[in-house]
Amino acid sequence: MSAFKLAPDEPTRRSFFEGAGLRAGSVALGLLATFRASAAPGRVHPPVPGLPHHKPTAKALIYLHMNGAPSQIDTWDHKPVLKEYFNKDLPQSVRGGQRLSTMTSGQQRFPVAPSKFTFQRMGKCGTWANTDILPYTARIVDDIAVIKTVHTNAINHDPACTFVMTGSEVPGKASIGSWLAYGLGSESNNLPAFVVFTPRFPDGSNGQALFTRMWSSGFLPTAFNGVALRGAGDPVLYLRNPEGVTPADRRAMLDALGGLNSISSARYHDPEIQNRISQYEMAYRMQSSVPELTDLSGEPRHILEMYGPAVTNPGSFAHSAIMARRLVERGVRVVQLLHRGWDQHGNLPRELGNQCRDTDQPTAALVTDLKQRGLLDETLVVWGGEFGRTVYSQGTLTPETYGRDHHPRNFCMWMAGGGVRGGQVFGETDDFSYNITKDPVHVNDLNATILHCLGIDHERFTFKFQGLDQRLTGVEPQKVINGLLA
Amino acid sequence: MPSRLIVALVCIGLAPLAQAADISFNRDIRPILSEYCLACHGPGKQVARLRLDQADAALKGGKSGAPAVVPGKPAMSELVKRLHTGTESERMPPASTRKAPSPREVKLLEDWIASGATYEGHWAFEPLAAVPVPAGEGAVIDRFLQATLRDKGMAMRPEAPREALIRRVSFTLTGLPPTVAEVDQFLADKAPGAYERMVDRYFASPRHGEEMARHWLDIARYADTHGLHLDNERQMWAYRDWVVNAFNRNMPFDQFTIDQLAGDLVPNPSLDQQVATGFSRCNVTTGEGGSISEEWVYRNAVERASTVFTTWLGLTGACAQCHDHKFDPISARDFYSMYAFFHSAADPPLDGNALLTAPTVRLETAEVKARRDKLNARLAETAASLVALARAADYSDPAKAMDKPAPVTREEAWFDDAFPAGGRVFASPGHPTQYVDASSGKVFSGSKALRRTDSGLAQDVIEGMPAKSIPKGAKLFAHVYIDPANKPKTLMLQYFKGGWLHRAAWGDYDAIPWGKAGTTERVNAGPLPESGKWVRLEIEASKLGLVAGDQVTGFAMTQFGGLVYWDKAGVSGSADPAADPALSLEAWWRSQRGKNQTGVAEPLAGWIKAGPSARKVASEISQVRDHFIATAWDGASKEIKSLRAGREAILTELGSFDSNAPGTFVYRDLDKPRESFVMMRGQYDKPGEKVEPAAPAVLGTIGVKDRRANRLDLARWLVSPTQSLAPRVIANRFWQQVFGVGLVKSSGDFGTQGDLPSHPALLDWLARDFRDRGWNVRDLIRSMVLSRAFRQDSAAPPPEWAKDPENRLLGRGPRIRLDAEQVRDNALFVGGLAKLDMGGRGTMPYQPPNIWEPVGFTGSNTRIYQQSKGDSLYRRSLYVFLKRTAPAPFMSNFDAPNRETPCSRRERSNTPLQALQLMNDTQHVEAARGLAARLAREAPDSAARVRLAWRVVVSRLPEPDEEKSAVAFLERMLARYGADKEAAGKLVRAGESPVPAGIPEPDLAACTMLANLVLNLDETINRN
Repeated sequence: MSAFKLAPDEPTRRSFFEGAGLRAGSVALGLLATFRASAAPGRVHPPVPGLPHHKPTAKALIYLHMNGAPSQIDTWDHKPVLKEYFNKDLPQSVRGGQRLSTMTSGQQRFPVAPSKFTFQRMGKCGTWANTDILPYTARIVDDIAVIKTVHTNAINHDPACTFVMTGSEVPGKASIGSWLAYGLGSESNNLPAFVVFTPRFPDGSNGQALFTRMWSSGFLPTAFNGVALRGAGDPVLYLRNPEGVTPADRRAMLDALGGLNSISSARYHDPEIQNRISQYEMAYRMQSSVPELTDLSGEPRHILEMYGPAVTNPGSFAHSAIMARRLVERGVRVVQLLHRGWDQHGNLPRELGNQCRDTDQPTAALVTDLKQRGLLDETLVVWGGEFGRTVYSQGTLTPETYGRDHHPRNFCMWMAGGGVRGGQVFGETDDFSYNITKDPVHVNDLNATILHCLGIDHERFTFKFQGLDQRLTGVEPQKVINGLLA
Repeated sequence: MPSRLIVALVCIGLAPLAQAADISFNRDIRPILSEYCLACHGPGKQVARLRLDQADAALKGGKSGAPAVVPGKPAMSELVKRLHTGTESERMPPASTRKAPSPREVKLLEDWIASGATYEGHWAFEPLAAVPVPAGEGAVIDRFLQATLRDKGMAMRPEAPREALIRRVSFTLTGLPPTVAEVDQFLADKAPGAYERMVDRYFASPRHGEEMARHWLDIARYADTHGLHLDNERQMWAYRDWVVNAFNRNMPFDQFTIDQLAGDLVPNPSLDQQVATGFSRCNVTTGEGGSISEEWVYRNAVERASTVFTTWLGLTGACAQCHDHKFDPISARDFYSMYAFFHSAADPPLDGNALLTAPTVRLETAEVKARRDKLNARLAETAASLVALARAADYSDPAKAMDKPAPVTREEAWFDDAFPAGGRVFASPGHPTQYVDASSGKVFSGSKALRRTDSGLAQDVIEGMPAKSIPKGAKLFAHVYIDPANKPKTLMLQYFKGGWLHRAAWGDYDAIPWGKAGTTERVNAGPLPESGKWVRLEIEASKLGLVAGDQVTGFAMTQFGGLVYWDKAGVSGSADPAADPALSLEAWWRSQRGKNQTGVAEPLAGWIKAGPSARKVASEISQVRDHFIATAWDGASKEIKSLRAGREAILTELGSFDSNAPGTFVYRDLDKPRESFVMMRGQYDKPGEKVEPAAPAVLGTIGVKDRRANRLDLARWLVSPTQSLAPRVIANRFWQQVFGVGLVKSSGDFGTQGDLPSHPALLDWLARDFRDRGWNVRDLIRSMVLSRAFRQDSAAPPPEWAKDPENRLLGRGPRIRLDAEQVRDNALFVGGLAKLDMGGRGTMPYQPPNIWEPVGFTGSNTRIYQQSKGDSLYRRSLYVFLKRTAPAPFMSNFDAPNRETPCSRRERSNTPLQALQLMNDTQHVEAARGLAARLAREAPDSAARVRLAWRVVVSRLPEPDEEKSAVAFLERMLARYGADKEAAGKLVRAGESPVPAGIPEPDLAACTMLANLVLNLDETINRN
C-alpha cells in the first residue's frame, strides 16, 4: 500500500487522507492542504509528499486525444504493399478468429482498402508520413516518437475512451489528468492544476460522445477534476461577475465577506472556514489570471500565424493548442485537448482530411512553439485516439473512398518532448496493419510511461478505494517502455 | 497547528495506540494482517498453504510445518521470525510487494501474540447480540457516546442556540432552511417539548421525503439518461417519485427493500410495487452499435449484483468478480451466486437508445384518465349509431353471389385526417407532428392534413398498425402540397414489411441516405413534383419490392427541408369483390381470424377473432355483419363512412395514450432463467463452474429448499430477523446522513479493508433496535435528531477541534457543508423563488452554455440543452434533469456524483470554483435579487435590512460587529449604484423572473449585493 514512503514526521497523513480508502472529506482535505503546504511552501497545489519518485523528465503533460479513433493506416502506419491487395479479401490467416465489432461481423467479405494517400519519408529520421493530410506534422517527425503498436482491450468507443483515459473500461476510476494533478499538484497558484478543452470539430464528421469521466477524478477527491476551459461563454464556469458588478465591487464584497467569515471562524474554530476564505481569494485571482491567460494580444504575429487562421477563434482546436502552451508556461500540470469526429466508418478519405485540416497545423505549431521556447524539454506531448481501424473496408470500397471499422489490436500514437526520444518509430505491425509483430505497447504500458516521464513509478502511485490499492495502470502487470525514452 | 493535530489524531480512534492489555484483534491486528499478509495468506489465496486470518490455520502453520503463531510466545512464532529475519529470501512481506510494516505495527503483532493471540471473526459479520446500554441518564445514543467521551477525558458541548437548532433540524429533515415564521414559532414556544414539536413539524412536511430520497438516489444511481455512448434520455422518474413517496409515508425499510428488489414477484403486485423495481434498472446501459450482446448481459448482471452488495451489505463485490476476494471472505462463487439472481433479467442487453426500454409500465395521470373515460363514452355512442345504420343497410356478400363478380379498382386510404388506430404514431424527435385544417393550412380531403416544415430530415411515422394488404397491381400514393417559397430537397415514402426496407424518393436522391442506393430500399421515383398545388405522389408497389398479398404494418411520410402539407395516403389496386376484405364479409371475416379487435367489446370481438368457419348462430353472424358494414365495408353510405372516420380518430387517440403516456422502467425476469457460471477472471466469454442464486456463504443461507431461490427470497433474506450486516449498513448510512460521518466512516465498505466503527456497541444497538422494531426509519432518525449529541453547539475551542478534527466522537455538534442540492435550494428558497411542485420529468434550470453540446454524441437526444421556462426554473434540485455524461455544474461543483455507479458517501470539497458559482451564477444572483426585493420592501433602513437578511438566511440576528460590517457594505453599494444607475439596472435584471416593481433600482441593486454577500457566507452554506 505504501504509495508514498512516509517521512517519519508525517505518520498520519496517509491514514488521514487515504485511511480507510474512501474519498476524503472536507476535514481531511483541509488537513491535506496543510500537510502538503509544509512540503512545498507557497504552493496552492502542493504535491503528495514523496512525489515525484524520481527526477522527472517532464513537468507538464499535454494530451491531444483524437476522439473516435484515427485510422492508423491512413496516418502513421504506412503499408505500401496493400496496393496489390486492393479489393481482395483479407487473408484468413491474417484475420485469425479475431473478435469483430457487430457492425461488420455480419459482413460477407473483408476487402482490403489500401490508403489512398501519399506517404513520404520525412526529416532526418526518415519516418514515413502522410504528406497529403498531415503536411505540417510531417515536418516535425524528428521531434516525435511514433508508436505503431499501441493496443487496447475495448472494441467500442465508450469503453475504449474510458479505458485509455482511466485505465479501466468500467466508469468510476480516476482519469490520468486527475492522477497527475493529485500526485504532483501544480506550479500555478492562480490556475487549476488540470485543464481540459473540447474544441469544435468539422461539420459532417461522425462526432462520438465525450464523457466527463474522461477528465474526472473518479475515486480521487473531486478537487482534482479537470477544469474545462470553454470556447463559449466564460472560459471558466461562472468566472465573470454579474452584469453591473465591477471588479472593485467584487473586491468590496470579498473584503466584507472575509471579515464576516473571520467572525464565524472565531466563533466556531472550524478550520474549513479559513480554507473557504482562501478559496474565495483564489477565485478572485482567477478572475484576473484567466482573462490574462486568454488574451492573445501579446502574442507575436508570426506565432499566431504558425497556429493557423483559427487561432484567434475561441473554441477552435488551434485556439486550444496555443492555450495549452500558455497554460504549461504558467505552471499548469496537465492540459488535455479532446477533439471529436475521428470515427470514419465510411467516406474516410474526405472526412479524415477534414479532421486533419482542423488539427494538423496547430498540432505541429504547438510542438514547434514549445521547442523554440525551451519548453518541449519539460513538456510531454501525447497524440492519439482510443483504438485503431481495420485494414478491410466497411461499406463501399473504391480506390477513392472507403470506410474502416474499429480495430483494437494495434493503432498509432505519438509522443514528443519531456524525455521521449524523437525521430523514431517504435514497434512494428504486419503488412496489413492487423497484428503486432514486434514491441507491443498496451494502453496501460503507455500510461505507465507517461507517469514515468513525470517522475512517477506507476506501481507505487496508488490510492486506496474499495479495499484495493487503485492505480492508473490497473491490476495486470504493466511496464514502462524504455525504448521510447531519450 | 498541524503537528498538534497529528498527535491528537493518533490519540483518537483512527490509529489507536493500544495497550498490550487490551489489544483487539479486529481493531489492531486484522488491519495489519490485511495490509501486509492476506493477499497471499488469506481467504483467496494460501501461498505455501499458509493462512493467517483464522486461528486454526495460523496455529498449524504452512508448508514449512512451523506454526505461524504460538500463543504467548512471539519469539517462537514463524510470523514474527519472518518479519525480523536477515535472510532476504525468507523475509516477509517480500520486497516485491514494496510494503513493510512499521515498528509500531510489528510491536503490536508481538504484543498480541504475547498476550495469547486471540482471534475474532470480522466484526461486521458477527451476529447482532444484545448490547448492554451504558449506565447514565438521557437518550441511549448519548449514553454510548458519553461513555467514550469520558474515556478520552472529553465531554459534550452545551446545547446550541435555538436559532441554530431549528436551521440544523430543518436542513437535516427537509433540505431547506426554516422560514422566519417557523423560527419565531419555535422561539416563542417556551413549554417543555418545544424541540420535539418542532422536529415533528418537519417530519410531517412533504419536503421530508424529498430530502430523504436524495440520499437514497445516490446509492440507487438514479439518473435521467442511459449513461453510455449516446446517453439518450431515459424515462424512469416515476421511480424517483416512488422513493420520495415511500419516505413521506415512512414505509418500513424491510418493505422498502422488498419492493425495490422484488416488487414484481410479490403476490398481485401493485403498480407502485412494479415501479419500485426500477431500482435494478437504474444502472448505466449502452446502445452503442457494434456492442456484443453476451458481454452486456453479463455486465448488467454484474452491475446489479454489485449494487446489492454495496447497498445492503456494505461490501465491495467488484473484486470477487475476477477472483476470490483477497481480504474479505467473499469468493468468486459467492459473487456469481448473487449475480445469478440478476442474470436472467428480461431487459435487452442493449438499451436501443430508447426513452423506454422494455420491460416498462405505463403511468396514467388524472387528466389522462378523465380524457380516456370521455373518449370511451364517445366511442360507445358512435358504435351504437353505427350499428343502427349498419343494421338498416342493404348488403349482400359478393362472395355468395351466383356469378363470379368482375374485378374492380379500389383505393384504400391509410391516412386521411388520422392514422389508422392500433399503431404507434410518432415524429422525428424534437419535431412534433402538426395537424392543420382548412383555416390554418392546406387540406386535400377530409377535414385535416399534416403540415411539416423543417431545415433537415423530418417525418411522420406509424409503426405496428394493423396489417394492410397489398392488392394486385397496387400503386402506393400520398398527396402533397409543396410551398413554392420553401421547397424541400426530397420527399420520401417509406413502407415497413418486416423492416424499413421499401422507399421511394422524389427530388434529390442522395439527400436522405437511408437504405441501400439502387435497390428497393431506396428507389429513385423522379424529380420533385410541382409546387403550389396538390399533387399525387404515386409509385407501383412492385418497384419497391412489394407484391400482392404482402402485409404492410407501417409507413412514413418523410421530407428533407422545406414546407410540405401531406394528406390522404394509401394504396390503390385491383380487387376481386369476392376476395376483397373491404367488399366481402366472408373475406373480411377470414382476414380477421386470430386478430385482436381494437375498440370492440366482447363477446363480439371473440366471434370476429374466431373467423367465419367457427360461428354458425344467426344472431351472432348478423352482429358480425353489422360490424363489418360499420367499420370496413367500402360500399357503405357516406353517413356511415363519416361516423367510421370519427370512430377511427377516437381509437387513434385512445391508442396514443398508450404509446405516449409516460412510462417507467421496471425489472422482470425472463420466463426461462439463464444458466449462470463463475466467469473466469471476470470475462464474459469464459464461463467456469455453474452456480445457482444464493447468499454469500459467510453470511448464512437463504434457506429455500426444493426450488431455485429468486429475488424475492433474496430481498426477504436481506431484511430477515436473523440478518446482522444489512441492519448495520443501513442504520450507519442514516447516521451519516444526520451526523455527517457514519459511525463506520467507510459507509460503503464494511469489509476488512473498511474503517472500524468509532462506536461498535452503539452501532450494534441501533441496528438491532432498528431491525427488531419493524425497520421504522422515522423512529431511527428521530432518535438521532432528538439526541443531545445532535443538539450540541458546533462551536468549540480550538483544542477540541485539534483532538477530533472529524468529530468522530461527537464532543461537539455536527457542522457540515450543505450538499449541492441544498446549496441551490436554499438560495431559491430564501430568494422567494422556489417552486415546490413535486414529481414528474426532470426540469432544466439555468445552465451556462456549452455543458452538453461539446460532449454530446451527434445523434443524441440530450446533445442540446433546452432550458426550461417559467416556474420550472425554480423547482427543487432533486427534480433537475440529470444527464450522466455531463451533469449540471452546480451539482458536480459541490461534489454531487454523476450517478454512473452507486455512491454511498459524498465528499465535501472546498474549491474556488464553488466560490465563483456562489458569487456569479445567474441562479444565485437572481435569488439574491429576490431576497433584495423583500429586504427593500419589508425593512425601512440599512440596519433593518441587514437584520432581516440575517434572519431570513441564517435564522438569527447579526451580532453587532457583523451588523456594522454589513451595513457599511450596504451603504457603500447604495452610494455606488446611486451614482451609476445603468449598472444598477443591469444587475437587477439577472435571471428570467420579472424585476420587482416599485423599488428604486439603485436600492434594489445595493440590496442585491448585500444578499449576494449573505448568500456567500460560510455560515449560509453550512449546517451549523
